[in-house]
Parts: sequence; C-alpha cells; structure tokens
Amino acid sequence: MRQQLKQRWQRWLGRRIPPAASVRLSQRRIFIVPTRVGLAFALALLLMLLTAINYQNSLAYALTFLLASVFIVAILHTYRNLAGLMLKAAGARPVFVGEQGQLRLRLESSARAHQAIALGWPGTAYQTRDVPAQGVSECELSLPALRRGWLRAGRLRVESRFPLGLLVAWSWVDLDQALLVYPQPLEGELPLVAGADDQLDEQGMRALGPGSEDFQGLKSYQPGDSKRRLHWKAYSRGQGLLVKDFAALSGRDPWLDFEALTGDVELRLSLLCHWVLQLSERQQPFALRLPGQLLAPASGEQHRDACLRALALFGTPG
Amino acid sequence: MSGPAVIPRISLTWLLVAQLLVIVPHLSHLPLWIVGLWLGCAAWRIQILRMRAGYPNAWVKAGLMLGVAVGVLLSRGSLIGLDAGVVLLVAAFILKLLEMRTRRDALVVIFLGFFVVVSAYLFDDSLLAALFSLLPVTALLAALIGLQQSGVAAQPWATARLAAGLLLQAVPLMLLLFVFFPRMGPLWSLPLPSERALSGLAESMAPADIAELSRSGGLAFRASFTGEVPPREQLYWRALTFEHFDGRRWSQSAFARLPLAPAWEKQGEPLRYSILMQPSSQSWLFALDVAETSLENTRQMSDYRLQRGRPVERTLLYQVTSWPAAVREPAGSSDNLRRALQLPEDGDPRSRAWGAELKRQYPQPEQLVQAVLGHFNREPFGYTLRPPRLGLNSIDDFLFETRNGFCAHYAGAMTFVLRAAGIPARVVAGYQGGEYNPGGDYVQVRQFDAHAWVEYWQTGKGWVSVDPTFQVAPERIEQGLEEALGDEQSFLEDSPFSPLRYRQLTWLNQLRLGWDNLNHGWQRLVLGYQGAQQLQLLQRWFGRIDARVLALSLVGGGGLLLGLLALWLFKPWRRERDPQQRLFQRFERLLARHAVQRQPGEGARAFAERASLALPVQAQVIQDFAAAFEAQRYGGDGVCPAALRAHLALLRRALPWRSAATRDP
Amino acid sequence: MRTRLNACLDAVNQVLLGKEPQVRLALACLLARGHLLIEDLPGMGKTTLSHALARVLGLSFQRIQFTSDLLPGDILGTSVFDRESGQFLFHPGPIFAELVLADEINRATPKSQSALLEAMEEGQVTIEGATRPLPDPFFVIATQNPVSQGGTFALPESQLDRFLMRLSLGYPAKAAEKALLLGDSRRSLLPRLEAILDHAELALIQAEVPRVRASDALIDYVLRLVDATRSQPQFAWGLSPRASLALLAAARAWAFLDGRDYVIPEDVQAVLPAVVGHRLRERSDPAGHGGGALVQWLLREVPAL
Repeated sequence: MRQQLKQRWQRWLGRRIPPAASVRLSQRRIFIVPTRVGLAFALALLLMLLTAINYQNSLAYALTFLLASVFIVAILHTYRNLAGLMLKAAGARPVFVGEQGQLRLRLESSARAHQAIALGWPGTAYQTRDVPAQGVSECELSLPALRRGWLRAGRLRVESRFPLGLLVAWSWVDLDQALLVYPQPLEGELPLVAGADDQLDEQGMRALGPGSEDFQGLKSYQPGDSKRRLHWKAYSRGQGLLVKDFAALSGRDPWLDFEALTGDVELRLSLLCHWVLQLSERQQPFALRLPGQLLAPASGEQHRDACLRALALFGTPG
Repeated sequence: MSGPAVIPRISLTWLLVAQLLVIVPHLSHLPLWIVGLWLGCAAWRIQILRMRAGYPNAWVKAGLMLGVAVGVLLSRGSLIGLDAGVVLLVAAFILKLLEMRTRRDALVVIFLGFFVVVSAYLFDDSLLAALFSLLPVTALLAALIGLQQSGVAAQPWATARLAAGLLLQAVPLMLLLFVFFPRMGPLWSLPLPSERALSGLAESMAPADIAELSRSGGLAFRASFTGEVPPREQLYWRALTFEHFDGRRWSQSAFARLPLAPAWEKQGEPLRYSILMQPSSQSWLFALDVAETSLENTRQMSDYRLQRGRPVERTLLYQVTSWPAAVREPAGSSDNLRRALQLPEDGDPRSRAWGAELKRQYPQPEQLVQAVLGHFNREPFGYTLRPPRLGLNSIDDFLFETRNGFCAHYAGAMTFVLRAAGIPARVVAGYQGGEYNPGGDYVQVRQFDAHAWVEYWQTGKGWVSVDPTFQVAPERIEQGLEEALGDEQSFLEDSPFSPLRYRQLTWLNQLRLGWDNLNHGWQRLVLGYQGAQQLQLLQRWFGRIDARVLALSLVGGGGLLLGLLALWLFKPWRRERDPQQRLFQRFERLLARHAVQRQPGEGARAFAERASLALPVQAQVIQDFAAAFEAQRYGGDGVCPAALRAHLALLRRALPWRSAATRDP
Repeated sequence: MRTRLNACLDAVNQVLLGKEPQVRLALACLLARGHLLIEDLPGMGKTTLSHALARVLGLSFQRIQFTSDLLPGDILGTSVFDRESGQFLFHPGPIFAELVLADEINRATPKSQSALLEAMEEGQVTIEGATRPLPDPFFVIATQNPVSQGGTFALPESQLDRFLMRLSLGYPAKAAEKALLLGDSRRSLLPRLEAILDHAELALIQAEVPRVRASDALIDYVLRLVDATRSQPQFAWGLSPRASLALLAAARAWAFLDGRDYVIPEDVQAVLPAVVGHRLRERSDPAGHGGGALVQWLLREVPAL
C-alpha cells in the first residue's frame, strides 16, 4: 500500500516536473507548508488570542492579528524566494567506486535574489546557498558511488525557509544527471600479453610520444632536453637553440588483456583499472583488450579516459 | 561555517536588543530585583558571546530558578495571579536567554518575548505603549530572520529592514482581522492587574479629599456630544450623592446601594452624548442629570446616579441621554426625605440656630435657599484650596470664623443649614465643567474638575440643584479652577511640569489638546473596539450582521489584500513588459491554432517562412508581420506596438476562423 | 557597393562550383577582418577558393606550403648578408602578402605554426629585433588536414580560437562535379578573374561592417547562446568572450552581405556552425574534435527570441 502510494507519487511528480537538464521553478512546481516551527508559532498565536479574549484587550488582539498576518504574508515571501529560480546540471567528474561522486549544480536567478536555498537528497545533509540577483551560484553535491557504470542522480529536493523559517517551500527536481563511475583500482599482477607478438610487431608501429627512433623535426630547446640532440647547425645560423625531435615507435608496448586474468569480472576490471592508471602515470603507451573491444596502444590523458570509460561500462548496455 | 544548531551572532544580538525593548515597558511595575537579575544575565550572556565566560551549569540554573520563585513569593505574596505571573514570565524570558545554546532555544526565547510584549499591554495600553511595542516586535522578528542561514541574515540592518518590511506588509491584513474578527466575552475569568492607587472620587468625602483631587491633572473622562456642546456652567457631571453626615465626613447612606428606581418625568430637549471613561476602580458612572444609558449591566439608582455591576477597570465607552429639564420625584417618598434631613446628634450649635432662624424668617423653601446663597454672596467668603484648619465644630468654624474654603466646604455647610431649617437636602459629588477640545469636538474632564454641590427637595418641584460655590467664586464655574484660584499657586502644585500648568502658552496648549485628541480617538476606536462597538460599526456598514457576512468579509477581504500584495511583490507585468515580445507571442498563438508551432531556436524570419509554406494564402500577411517585427526589434525602427497590432489584425482577418480544429487529427 | 559584393560572390562561385554557402561564409569572414581555417581532405578546392577570393578582391596572394621541416624564418623572412652593400638585407617571407594561404598548417611543427599565428594576431612581425608591419588588409586562410591523418601536429585549442571561422568544403554535389568534369580546368579559369573591388572599397566595406546595428534583443540572444555553452553539462568548456565577439562580428558581416543594416538571429545562426564549431568540444567525447552535434543543439534549443 505504502509502496504503491510512493510509486504513484513518483509518477505524478515525473509528469509534473519531468527530468530535464535545466528546470525553472515555477508555480506548478513549488509546494509550500508550515514547518514545525510554524506550527509552534501558530500555537503561540492561539495562546495570545486566548489572552486577548480573556482580558478583552484590543492591543493584544492587534498584536496577535499582526503576527498572524506576518505569518500569512510570509507565505508569499517564502514562495517568492524559490519561484523563478533556475536549476541547471553543470556536469560531474567521473569517480572510482567507493569515492564520493561530486555533482555540480548551477543556481541561476533571472531577476531577484534568492536567499538560503537548501539543496540535497532526502536523508542527507543539505547544502545552503544564496543566489544574488541576476547572478549565479554553484553548488557541489556528493553522492556515494557504490557500483561502476552510470550513476543516476535521482530527484533532488530544493527548499527554502527564508525569511522566517515558519514555512517551507520546496520542489523535487530531477536534473537528469548521471555520473560515470570507474571500477575501484586494485593492485595486483600485471595482466600482460606479450606485446611483442611477431605479427603485431610491424603493424603496431606508430609515431607516438617522444622517443628516439624516428626524426620528427626540430623543436626549441627546453631545459632538460638531451644535449646530444642539439641542432648545432641551426644554432650557428643564429636560429637559437633547437633540438632534433624524435618520436618513439610502439610495438613493444604492454597490452592489458582481460582474458589474461582469471577470477571474478569485477575483480579483473579493478586490476585492469589499476594498471591503466599506473601506466598512464608513467606515460607509457599501452593497449587494452576487453572481450569484444580493443583500444589500440596509445598514451595520454585521452587514452586513459577512454580506457577507464570502457572499463566502467563493460558489460552494461549503452 | 557554523552548524545548523548554533545560534548566529546576529540573531543573538537582536535577541539582546529585543530583551531590552521588551522589558522596558514593564519597568514601572516589576520589582527592582528583577532588573538586577536582567542586567546580570545580559552581562553574562554577552561575556559568553565574547567567549569570556561559560554557560551556567545545572546547579546555577536550578539556583537561579529557585531564587526567582522565592523572589516572586516575597515581593508579590504568591506565585499565582497576574502580577506574579508576569514577573515569572519576564524572569523566564531572562533566564532562557542566558542558557540558550541552540536554534530551538532561540525560538523558545522569541516566542516568550512575544508573550511578554502582550503581557505589557495588560498594564499599559496607551497609544505610546502600543507604538513602542512595535520596536521589540521588530527586533524579535529580526532575530527570527537572523536564525536563517543566509547572507542577508548575517547583516544586522538588512534583517531589521526585512522584519520591518514584513510587519508593514502585514498591516492591511491585520486591520482587516481587527475589524472583522468576532469579539467574544471572556472565556473564563482571569486575575486582573492589581490596581495602582487611582485618584478619583471616593465613597465618602471630607473637604480635604477634594482639595487633594484638585492637585491631580489626571483624566477622569471625555464626553462627545451629538450637536452643540452645552455651556460650561451647565456641565454638572453627577457621580454620587452624600446623604449621611457624621459631623466631619459626608458619606453615602446605606440605602443608596438598594436598586430602587426613582420617579422622574422626561421634559424638555434631551442631550445625547457618549462618555469615554478612564478606569476608576469604582462602579459608578458619570452623567449629566437626569441620565439614561443603554450600557448593559448598568442601572439608575435612587439618587439618580448610574451604577454599573462591576467596577470600571478598563477604559469604558457608554452612550448617555440626559434630560436636564426633567422633574425629579415631585411627590417625594417619606423614606428618602427623612434621610435627607439627617443631622448628627449634636455639634455645630450656631449653624443649627441659624437654620432655625432662617426657617422662621422665610417660610418658603425657595426664599430660604436664596437667602443662604445671598449670605454667601454678601458676606466676605473666600475661595481657596488652602483653607485654614477647622475645629471640632467644622461647620460652625467655617460659616462663622474662617469663611474660606472651596466647593466641599460650601456644599457641606449649605446642606447642613438647609437640613437644620427643615428642608431635605443632600451633597452631590461629581465633576463640574471640563475643557473643550476644539480639534476633537469633545469635553475633557480632569480630576481637578472635581466638584461638590447641593440639591434640595421642594414639594411639587422635586429635587432642585444649587451651587453655593457659584456665589463665592463664579469664575470657578464659568472658567475653571485655575482661574478661580488666581495667584494662589495651589493649582497642580505637585506637578510643576504638567503641560496643564502652562495653558497660557498657545502652542504648547495646542500641542496638548492635539495629543489629548489623539488619545481620545485611540481609546474610542482602538481600545474600546469590543463586542458592542464592533457590532455597531459593522451594522452601520452592512446593515445586518451575522456569521456569514463576517466570514465572507474576512475571507474575501483577506484574499483581496493578499492578491494585491502578491501583485506588488511579484510584479507580473514586469516579466512581460516587452510589448514586441508580447505581440509576437500573440502572433505565435494565432499560427499555432493552424498547427504551425515555432521551435525555440527559430527566429522570426525563419518561422515566418515556414508558416508561409504551410499557409500559402496568408503568406504575404505573415511575412509582413515578421518583417515589421524584425525591423522594430533588430533594426533601427522605433518601438511601435500599434503598427505590429495593425499587422496582427490583418493576419487575424486573413486567417480562416478555427480551420485548425478541423484539420487537426 | 553590395551589388559589387554580389558580383564577387558570383565570380568565385563560377570557379568553385556548388559551394555557395561556404564561399559566402569565407567572404563574410574576410569582411569581418577574421582569419579562416579550412579543414578538408586534399583536392577539395581549398587553394582554388583562396586564390579566387584574392583575385576578385584585388589582393596580393602568397601561398605557404607547411611541411614538417618548415622553419619560422621560411614564413616570416630572413636577413641575408649582402656583399655589395656590406649590410644585412631583409628578405621578407611569404607572409608579407595581403592574402596568405597557409596550406596544411598542421603538418608544420608547433614552432612554425605559432610564428604564423602570432603574426595573425598582432598584424606585425618582429624579426631580429625589428618590428615590421604586415600589409593592410591582411588575411590568412589556413588549411588543415583532418586530424585523423598521421604525421600531423593538431593545432591546440588556444590557437584554434584565433581563427574566426572554420569551414569544411566537403565533396561537391553530383551536378556540380559533373559540370567540373565537363568544363575547363578550374585553375585555368583563375587568371581570367578580374579584380572587382579595389583596396579603398574593401577598406570602406570593412569599416562599414562593425556599424551594422546589433540591437539589445540580438545581443541577448548571443549571450543566451554563449551562456548555454558555459552552463550546459555536455559542453567540455564554454565559449570565451573572444568567441562571442567573433560571433557578433561574423553575424554583422553576414547581415551586411545580405543587404541589411541590422543583425537578426538568423544571421547569428547562419555563422554559428563556422564560428563556434572549432571552439567547442563535447564532454562525453574526450577524443572527439569539433562540436557539430553541440552546435546543432544550440541552434535547436536556445530560444532565438
């Protein structure tokens, strides 16, 4: 019964506030009720009213009514504080399993300032931000990354109790955000396939990264460059210090192979993840082979990200 | 960043300010030790704020609470009752502020603060007190705002401004509730504030009491007349009659308490007026002779005074109709007349003898009274608030020795002589005259207008009032006490700074009268706005009044006010202030009816071209509008909604009406 | 003046068949005083386009073929010791022309690339301590092979930003290619092209373009576009203020070519793919280059009005 109600509520919310990368909080999307403090305030007002009645005191009546009116006027203010606020997903950096994923949000104001906007997932500590008039405020929400693959950030609660804290205006927003979670790196054996297979040897040759085999051209001298490679002829012509640039040839680069490992799929992916990171750190070109997928030998950040992505999404549809 | 439970500094500052503002109005009736407690706790709290001191521990807290309880018991005699209750409330407010640590505590303190403000109204509900109380309310609201985790809440003036703004915006709704919220009687009886000694007339009178009263500038009541205000010398406001004389004091007879309606006949033109009476702690009301009032729980007593069921503890407004020319008890009742002839067993022999002699000389009571008045007029009698001391035979001493006194002396002496001459007579106590306030068109009567005069009974004519003081000091009656006293300096001699003493300064007097007028309005319209008043006002507006009308007015009016406020807050016209855009939206809606919907990324020209393909017949008109829009919005053409509207009208005419309805699947 | 411009377009279009939109964009780019990057496979008419433009606009033309051994001096010029005068004489490099075609710019080393790009940015070159101004007008049309081709040094993002537009000519349509095969050799047509504008007229037009009116409403649209790239998650980074200036300048030139003295959103949309395509990258596609899908998204989703 409870479950059913919850589902219907979620469906209704989905219709009313459909997931989107940016959501403007409009009238249809904001709900407002008194907080517990508001109820206590109402109780206090009731007591004051009783005092006014029993003492037939006009001023006590007046103050009671004044505060009650403030309560009612605060409905408009609390609602206004949230209305018109624009929430936008501002991307997320991929993380490894076990880390806290950071989702960035942008709060934009098109006209007036919005004070003390609290954001968060139910059951977690909310973050509070002020958005200046026609300004932007950024906020990072963390979400535990428990499984590799895409991590969907669910509905987010946006609320505001400003100015008096007697009322809370809130909305549930789904910014359609997802976060890529890489496998957890696990230290272990190097799942090497001899990259020096004869047939691969020739084909695998690529001019990649700095090396010493193949002359690529001249580049200006940077401290740390080998003195042996200085292009003295150019120097004598007054063209400044130039070094001869050579590119390394691949072919003996390590191949990280899923099949070379044994054990649980997740465990294997974790090991591969560790080595992808290790080799990238050493700036050593490597290749990655997963069942049905091959990432050719390369180095650099882009290669690393592509490998990690492949590991993260291995076996998941899409 | 501080955790959510910690009280922000700004909120705490405002709470300390609010505490000062909340307690100040109570200072007049709080015991002194609580002020000490307050100062000590506030200092402690500030030290905590500056990290120089710690929070009180449980023992200290228990000790403080016990101390407060004992203090209240000692200074108020009990722990219950309003006075003790208010002291306890204030003490709780002070102690809670000292020990509060969390936001929750702060909320408790703020709510307590509102209660302390309300309790202050029970002691003082003047206009000034009401205006002043807006300060603590604003400070408390600012403290409430300061509890929010926002940048605004960290700025002291921004919070105060916001709080004041909220209060200001709440005022219209508050007025609506104030006027329409149904007033009901007390649900249960509650202890009232113990009265400060109120000055005013008492149930018995020795001459010195009236002299005492004449030193007070305190307000007794105000009267507003429908129609002309009668001349000053006709304003004899009756409060009580004294029938019993014991040789020194005049007092009410025991019979006066019996609810016996007197006999009288209405004659002549009536006077209609309302009286706004200050609290007197007595249950008699003031009115001109002979008075009738519709005030509930009030009746006319045998001596024509108006008596209310319970004492007047709060400002009271009542309507009176008086017949000054009415004949009172022309037949007379033997009991009443007998009481009006009472004299002490012995004493004052010379006065008694004079009375007997007068009776012989003037058989007609009327002539006799004239003779006595003439005597006062002829002989060297003087009017003074500092009469010489009188001996054991006070009437004799006054009439034949000192011959100096004021109204109470003259009225008492004359009544004594008339009784000695066999004419039923009694002393009437009340007020005479009053000051006319031209700004508010009402008469204000103060304690120093207290007066005593005489009424005697005559067959056929009934009771007749005479004022012996008029013979001695006519200016007292025609102008007022200050004029009557001349250079004597005894007028308001206890209050040298009272503005009443400086009535000759025109601007100050204007100011004083204006202020009094303001207070009069305040008391009539605001403080007196209870059951009957509300009913009367609403009936004047709506004719008949019932629960449905009240509820409708409250809901309708509230909705209207909130709507206006929402309009003012949200300013929806600003969002659509761009007339070009608004007209373009109309253009889009027009085409949408014919199933041509603009994509968000589509500009005017591209959309118009697509629409022209879909609606080739109207292509020209559509393109014309788009071109005009483009030229105005992006080109140098000035903003001219009229031209766009003209194009739009052409398009509307060109489009077949609702053809889309049939075309749509 | 505009008829003359249209005549220019027609003349170029006769030489380069079936590429009207690209030719128009290229001309708009030059009118906006921007440099052009053409990214395409060899043999698609890049050289023809630049040469034709140079001829109809009456500009001096130089072509630099970028190779991996090209040195900065080969572009900018060198001082050579002249035995007769006994002094170093400066031999200006090919960059001292009004329209420079930098062919296959990504074949050269970054050092040579940056020599060209710095000259483009500053409008002058500093060689051996002496600063020499470049001619005015000065346009660079650089061509680039698609990145996937081997042996190339891709231009970094910061350098790409210096080109106002990036175009891709693409394969010609079938009809155009048939006309190409049937007709004369295109290269032989080139010498027959007459200069239609002279320097003064070109300078006048270039001065006119920034005066094309961009109303508040239009600026707001440009801001919305730029802001979307900065705030939407699919963009790896947002457009720089230089990019928004470029977008507006290009839109002005486009409006001018269209014969209007004010810019409308459609102008911005017309130049948007060329102006911002090379400045954007999709976040979820770290290896990918260019933001074709992103530009389409911008055109579709950002409210134009």
